[in-house]
Amino acid sequence: MKYVDEFRDAAIIRETAAEIERTVGNRRYRIMEVCGGHTHSIYRHGLHDLLPEAIELVHGPGCPVCVLPMGRVDDGLNLAAREGLTFAAFGDMMRVPGTEGSALERKAAGMDVRIVYSPLDALQIARQNPDLDVMFFAIGFETTAPSTALTLRQAKADGVENFSVFCNHITIMPALRALLDDPTMELDGFVGPGHVSTVIGCAPYEEIPERYGKPVVVSGFEPLDLLQSILLVVRQLEAGEASVENQYGRAVTWEGNAAAMAAMDEVFTPRPTFEWRGLGGIPQSALAVDDAYAAWDAEARYAVPGVSVMEPEEACCGSVLKGQMKPSACPLFGTECTPEQPVGALMVSSEGACAAQYEYARHEAMA
Amino acid sequence: MIDLSQYGTCTLDDDGCTTCGDAAVPVRVRSCNGTTARCEDRTGQEATISTDFVDDVRPGDVLLVHASVALSRIRPGA
Repeated sequence: MKYVDEFRDAAIIRETAAEIERTVGNRRYRIMEVCGGHTHSIYRHGLHDLLPEAIELVHGPGCPVCVLPMGRVDDGLNLAAREGLTFAAFGDMMRVPGTEGSALERKAAGMDVRIVYSPLDALQIARQNPDLDVMFFAIGFETTAPSTALTLRQAKADGVENFSVFCNHITIMPALRALLDDPTMELDGFVGPGHVSTVIGCAPYEEIPERYGKPVVVSGFEPLDLLQSILLVVRQLEAGEASVENQYGRAVTWEGNAAAMAAMDEVFTPRPTFEWRGLGGIPQSALAVDDAYAAWDAEARYAVPGVSVMEPEEACCGSVLKGQMKPSACPLFGTECTPEQPVGALMVSSEGACAAQYEYARHEAMA
Repeated sequence: MIDLSQYGTCTLDDDGCTTCGDAAVPVRVRSCNGTTARCEDRTGQEATISTDFVDDVRPGDVLLVHASVALSRIRPGA
């Protein structure tokens, strides 16, 4: 297929959905789409309505904004405020609630907060403003970590001293392992993340069929991509097989991007453990700036209190993140917690499960 | 010519959720200069993209870009 129309062709999509129904037989399957981009696409295109009842899609933890605990947001914002730093972050981080308000609310109160599109833009602000100390609040999975690694390499090579990174990068496999080790999860298979896999490739997922006996299909983002991937997962399950398949071959290679992974290895080092919202501490699941780049590591340069903050008690972010509860089952959904006034982070990012359901399916959910 | 939108509907000025990282923008290379390339998205908007992580980038290549850094070269038909 060459044109996007074919990925959205209604007849092909209906035929693929029918093929899933024919294949699934009498069993029921819980399939997790790991990536927030997939969650968004599923709601946007109404794919739930095309699938047979026997297929339950479970939304995974693949939205970094959603899984970042409030303590890290507080640490980053408080550090910037205390040291008089320029706080630079992606736009989606700006509305994430901290204990004393979001970055945007802090900006309104006078803090120097900059929205950037890339960490390279934050470095450029530092270069152009030698009187400022710029701290980039880094967040994201392996798709985003290479851009931070490249930025740190450039900062070191050019000796840019008024720039640092507050690193919150996380990695996908330890999170999947934690979900698979949780006996309450009862997942049958996975639709694997697309663009994370452009960096790490498909090989790391082989652990999932080998150790846990569950199929993984790396998927693209178009409606037909997702339905084909679900079909491939179901075919494996019905055949009693488990392997890693790559549905998104037009963008993802088996081995991934070696240069990007080498840059990450050079610049970052795994943290012994890192707290995920809803999932708790997961060993080796996040990246810290390596000692070789300590001069650009905000956590090495400044004292960080490492606060731990209780999430709002009534919000059910953790259960939603683990796929144990639909977003609309949370008592705050669509009432106290909306994209305009989010209580939990899953309502902030457009790819958070709550925001996606609110945007495209709230009327059915709240009916 | 390959339709860029089959690799995602994001554009350089509307990239969905940047932070998520699974919103990569498909772009076509117009010209190359060392480890950067001038690229355009499906709407014709241009930006300078770092190509440190993709070998031998040439004009006409289609790249998937995240946060101004190219992560992958598209393989049509693969």
